[in-house]
Amino acid sequence: MMKILLIEDDPQTSAYVANGLREQGHVVDHSTSGRDGLFLASGGGYDIMVIDRMLPSVDGLAIVKTIRAAGIKTPVLLLTTLGGVNDRVEGLEAGADDYLTKPFAFSELHARVNALARRPPMADEATVLRVGDLELNRLKRTVIRGGKRIELQPQEFRLLEYLMRNAGQVVTRTMLLENVWEFHFDPHTSVVETHISRLRAKVDREFGEELIHTVRGSGYSVRVST
Amino acid sequence: MSPHSFFRSTSFRLLAWYVAVFGASVAILLFIVYWITLAALDEQLSDSVEREAQVLVELYRGRGLDSVVRAIQLRVVELRPPRRYYLLQDAAGMRISGNLPPMKPTEGEMALPVSYLFPDRRSKPDDPADAYPVVAQGRRLDNGEFLLVGENRYRAVKAQEAILHALVWGIAITVLLAAGGGAVLGAGFLRRIEEVNRTTRSIMDGDLSQRVPTRGGGDEMDHLAINLNAMLDRIQVLMKSLKQVSDDIAHDLRTPLSRLRHGLEAARQKAGSDAEPVIEQSIAELDAILETFSALLRIAQIEAGARRAAFSDVSLGQIVSTVSEAYAPVAEDRSQRLETVIDRTLSVHGDRELLTQMVANLIENPIRHCPAGVGITVELRQEGGRPVLCVADTGPGIPASERDKVFRRFYRLEASRTTPGSGLGLALVKAVADLHGAAVELSDNHPGLRVTVRFHAASDGGARTYPARDAPGVTRDATPQRVDQVHWL
Repeated sequence: MMKILLIEDDPQTSAYVANGLREQGHVVDHSTSGRDGLFLASGGGYDIMVIDRMLPSVDGLAIVKTIRAAGIKTPVLLLTTLGGVNDRVEGLEAGADDYLTKPFAFSELHARVNALARRPPMADEATVLRVGDLELNRLKRTVIRGGKRIELQPQEFRLLEYLMRNAGQVVTRTMLLENVWEFHFDPHTSVVETHISRLRAKVDREFGEELIHTVRGSGYSVRVST
Repeated sequence: MSPHSFFRSTSFRLLAWYVAVFGASVAILLFIVYWITLAALDEQLSDSVEREAQVLVELYRGRGLDSVVRAIQLRVVELRPPRRYYLLQDAAGMRISGNLPPMKPTEGEMALPVSYLFPDRRSKPDDPADAYPVVAQGRRLDNGEFLLVGENRYRAVKAQEAILHALVWGIAITVLLAAGGGAVLGAGFLRRIEEVNRTTRSIMDGDLSQRVPTRGGGDEMDHLAINLNAMLDRIQVLMKSLKQVSDDIAHDLRTPLSRLRHGLEAARQKAGSDAEPVIEQSIAELDAILETFSALLRIAQIEAGARRAAFSDVSLGQIVSTVSEAYAPVAEDRSQRLETVIDRTLSVHGDRELLTQMVANLIENPIRHCPAGVGITVELRQEGGRPVLCVADTGPGIPASERDKVFRRFYRLEASRTTPGSGLGLALVKAVADLHGAAVELSDNHPGLRVTVRFHAASDGGARTYPARDAPGVTRDATPQRVDQVHWL
């Protein structure tokens, strides 16, 4: 359970997001104007903030800049209707942690919110990632499962690394494209699916138990089956 | 400004003309003075010789031959130049007096060369004052004697030398003054031109707020600056309204579309299994609309050029190899071969995100539109110091008549109408290439299509030139010969 602040002026979007998050068991505070939102945000105590970029009175970028200047480090997911090439960079420069363009599937938002809440500070990141009997060493760049060494291509390694860093979480196709390949656009071919299937062939096929799971309609997840 | 470019500048050319015209006019002027002075001096010389001859003839008639002999003797000892020459010989041709050898009597004016004066001394007289040709006047006297009076051209030659001297110095000083004056004028002119250039360059780099400085003097350069600034104001207004329109479309249309999508998603969760495939299909269609929409906005924003302000040196080699590696398994799954020859050291001045998308579109294009079994080659190499990206396939290719059209928005070849896609992929490639001042060309790969993108090197900032683009919102007819045109909606 997380305490989430949502600042969004469009009633339908905010209802959609707030209801969705509440259904997932989170506590959601909702504000419809920039000023009220900034007031709530400054109070602190939230695990994560979801802020729309275009708001009446104080806009989303200004809120992020203000709270960052005030030393509040709560992860921020910025929402926008602008699909512009500069907007993402502007948002990240203002201090947002992630950026999502409307319209989005709720599963996409939820996956990103979870990833942000779990995001560890860089220094604390473990050298060895483990899921079940699968072990990935980030320094030696080796992957071992059940004591057996698995040879991966560089991009397969990065894919598995990202999945394992978010082990237990759902990782969407878009998140993979952005973080593994730095693709900030939607390819017209099945880049992600193809790489996942190659990775599965190497990581899962020979070892009875499946670790890379497809989450229907959302993305992928690396976890030990329960 | 480097010295090399100075010599190519308009100022230098103007300066050169200025110097040439000035120098030539001074030279012509001095030559005229030279000729006129020389003619006057020669005439003076003839007059003087004639007068002297007349004086001696008068003396002969009045006082007799002896007086003439005495007069000649007195005159010959005169030492200062110009030298005078005399000859008095009797009817038999014997010299009576004078400092010239006897000669065949000839009346009137004549010129005697130096070799005639000193025949036995081989043209080199002891005294340099003697080394000048002589203008002489011969007179036959009453009793058959012959009198010759001459004076050498010492004065004329000295004057000639002085004038030539003046000529050389005059031209040299004129050229110097003209060059100096021209350089000062030119440098001022050049500086102001450079100000205009610097401003337009930073505007092309995306900073539309720049203006050409004016001095308030009201001269032509000020008028040019004022007109340019007025034009820039207009462009800025147009760009702003374009951005405003884009943002409004983005906001006002995407918001209801978002709601529609949210509604459909909610419906999918609640609907029974019968309705689910239909709702899935609708969401997919909606996503396709939204994607086309995003791509259009993206192209419009790229063409607006504001991204240039955020340009940095990026490794093109790394981008091309990352994208190639991403797509290699996709091609393999479609039984296509993706081969790469990549020079990883190459970099360009640009936008990483946009270049990645451009390379992805270029590689995705043959993967999506070519049948199984084709070979796709991605090559990044250096050509004449510039990075060149080449994506070639052995597929069906594009007929030459259609090649220029594929960069248009929504243009789709007959053969690919059945495959999904927006028809914006190559339009985006073109937009990104234009933003980077790179040229895109399509050619025949025998068989198949070859797309070549020629970049500028990363350090090539100063010589960057951007191809002219159509003003946003202006519709232009297709011109089949040219590939590098951008066609608006």
